[in-house]
Amino acid sequence: MSDSSMNACGLCQGEGLSTLKDGLWHNNPISIQILGICSALAVTTRVINSLVMGAALMFVIVMANLSVSVLRGITPRRIRMIAEVAIIATFVILVDQFLRAFWWEMSLALGPYVGLIITNCIVMGRAEAFALQNPPVLSMVDGLANGLGYGAILVIIGIIRELFGAGTLLGVTVLSPEWYTPNQLMILAPGAFVALGFVIAVFNAINQFRGEDNGS
Amino acid sequence: MKETAHTLLYAGVLGVVCATLLTAAGRFTAPYREANARADEVRHVLRVLRVPVEPEAPAHELLDLFEERIRIEEHPDLTLYLYEENDQLQAVAVPFDGRGVWGPIKGFLALEPDMRTIRGVTFHEQQETPGLGGEIVSAAFREQFEGQQVVDAEGRPGIRIVPESDPEALNEMDAITGATMTSDRVEDMLNATIERIVEERQDYVR
Repeated sequence: MSDSSMNACGLCQGEGLSTLKDGLWHNNPISIQILGICSALAVTTRVINSLVMGAALMFVIVMANLSVSVLRGITPRRIRMIAEVAIIATFVILVDQFLRAFWWEMSLALGPYVGLIITNCIVMGRAEAFALQNPPVLSMVDGLANGLGYGAILVIIGIIRELFGAGTLLGVTVLSPEWYTPNQLMILAPGAFVALGFVIAVFNAINQFRGEDNGS
Repeated sequence: MKETAHTLLYAGVLGVVCATLLTAAGRFTAPYREANARADEVRHVLRVLRVPVEPEAPAHELLDLFEERIRIEEHPDLTLYLYEENDQLQAVAVPFDGRGVWGPIKGFLALEPDMRTIRGVTFHEQQETPGLGGEIVSAAFREQFEGQQVVDAEGRPGIRIVPESDPEALNEMDAITGATMTSDRVEDMLNATIERIVEERQDYVR
């Protein structure tokens, strides 16, 4: 991620809008930085799972960026990473407990992947690369942008997988079982790789067409 | 020296703040989480007894249905979940548990009113190896129990989970390939429960 994170730091002084665009498109955590792939492949069998996972990550990354940014003046350099992990873990456990209490079925469907947001490189990456050098509000914008960028890709993959794997979208039948046989491959892990590959290829093709090669 | 003190203080305060937040959240959500876990267990009981249930029924509906349809009978060594329809006994579920390979296994064994024919088995808690021992929750494994007997041809209590079951023997089931330990332990815990059923209900079995 060295290339793209340097790129991100070049924009550290930028305005909110460019920060937003950065996370969503130019430096999208999944399609450009290829981070957070594990959960992007694991939970995207249904669109609703993608939406909830995206929202969970967005909450964690916004709150973690805010906390790290607020504390950046007094955080000792030597223990800054362990402090970041503690902050991130706290918010992740909050989300996990909330889901278990109020949306049990979703918590079962997402399995361990909510808890695993702690190890998601995107969250730690944004804390290190952005929140440590930027004021709180801009850091929250960065978190929001990256959360949206991550969530958007998850939803796109979720749409592809649910549509072709089950013939439904958000549980509503779109491709009638009378003439469409659901493709089991799309529900299984290899289908996620295929879908992700297509999404990244399309993103790259658009960038090339617009003449901004991001080097990936 | 001053820097070290600052580091220690920072770590201490951050730790206390995070721990306080998590404790508060844990306390607040505990009753909801427990209700959900309870509903999950109830869902398994209703399913194994084949009580008609809406597939997407929310937790409170399941708990209501359970209250309404299931009568719990406590015996010294045994808890029975009786499913009655118009005063007619439909099936009986018996909870069982035991040690699996990686953690506890908990489930229910449902019997027909004759107390010897198996209506079904279900596992609501297990941490067996995914793809191997974890396959005990698969329909393929669980469905082989349906219609089998908890006694052998001579009337001796006990089931057997073996590598190659004899299709003639009504108390034999196929073990899971690659999960001998899990299969053996499930066999043991089911047999321990069957023993207790036989002791409690001498008049039913035999």
